[in-house]
Amino acid sequence: MGVTTDQDEQTEVPGSDSPSMPRRRGRGRIATAVSVFGELLITAGLVLGLFVVYSLWWTNVLADRKADRQGAQVRHHWASATPDSGPGALDTGDGIGFLHVPAMGNGDVLVEKGTSTDVLNDGVAGYYTDPVKATLPMTGKTGNFALAAHRDGHGAKFHNIDKLQMGDPIVFETRDNWYVYKVFAILPQTSKYNVDVLTSVPKQAGVRKRGHYITLTTCTPVFTSEYRYIVWGELVRVDKVDSKRTPPKELT
Amino acid sequence: MYGWIWRHLPGNAWVKALISLLLALAVVYVLFQYVFPWAEPLLPFNDVTVNNQ
Repeated sequence: MGVTTDQDEQTEVPGSDSPSMPRRRGRGRIATAVSVFGELLITAGLVLGLFVVYSLWWTNVLADRKADRQGAQVRHHWASATPDSGPGALDTGDGIGFLHVPAMGNGDVLVEKGTSTDVLNDGVAGYYTDPVKATLPMTGKTGNFALAAHRDGHGAKFHNIDKLQMGDPIVFETRDNWYVYKVFAILPQTSKYNVDVLTSVPKQAGVRKRGHYITLTTCTPVFTSEYRYIVWGELVRVDKVDSKRTPPKELT
Repeated sequence: MYGWIWRHLPGNAWVKALISLLLALAVVYVLFQYVFPWAEPLLPFNDVTVNNQ
């Protein structure tokens, strides 16, 4: 662009180009710099736009694909295991069970061990091992089954956590049992350092005695990680899984 | 910048357009496959756990 204008002006005034040449070349250089800068800005805008597409869409595609595969593996595992294999049910290798939250309307969410990014990015919910060890429901012990999952991107399994209301069911499915919880406390916003929400007796949920609790944690508000959203539930019933895997009435 | 690339691509306008498209796709691929996965944990959009750190 700058080159053509220089040439045009040179042909208009032949012979007299030497005094004004440095100024024109300087302007051309500035024009080039401005246009390159502008193109870089446009490029940066496009890259940021692509990043939004990546985090809100593409990571979901990848995570759902992976979670579906792992979930199918777990179900296959369960189906092929003989009924009398007993305590082998506690198989933490590739997922321990599925979380069903009808209010969130997203089907079954595979639950795996740990809450590191590696685990959660596969589109699953993870149970805490750090800073507080979650108590798994199949151990039968009292305690808190604390879980985390993504609010956006990477499967966004807890995206609709704000749709949960008091008394809504949260069902955890293992190979042998359906654990039916009911929501009894919600904390819509808390600090990300508030690890007390995970304790075995979550006092912030307003309880004082030991029991079988479940805690769901994710980030809030949506699209950011400024705060955490917490939902607590308490175990109301344990149903045995029958041969047809009939879901409890809360899921029908 | 883009003008410079366009002028240095071989062939006629159609060939240039095709090569440009392929280049753009390659850039998107590299971004999605390598750059964004690297950048994401560095940005404060996706931490969901409560912790001590």
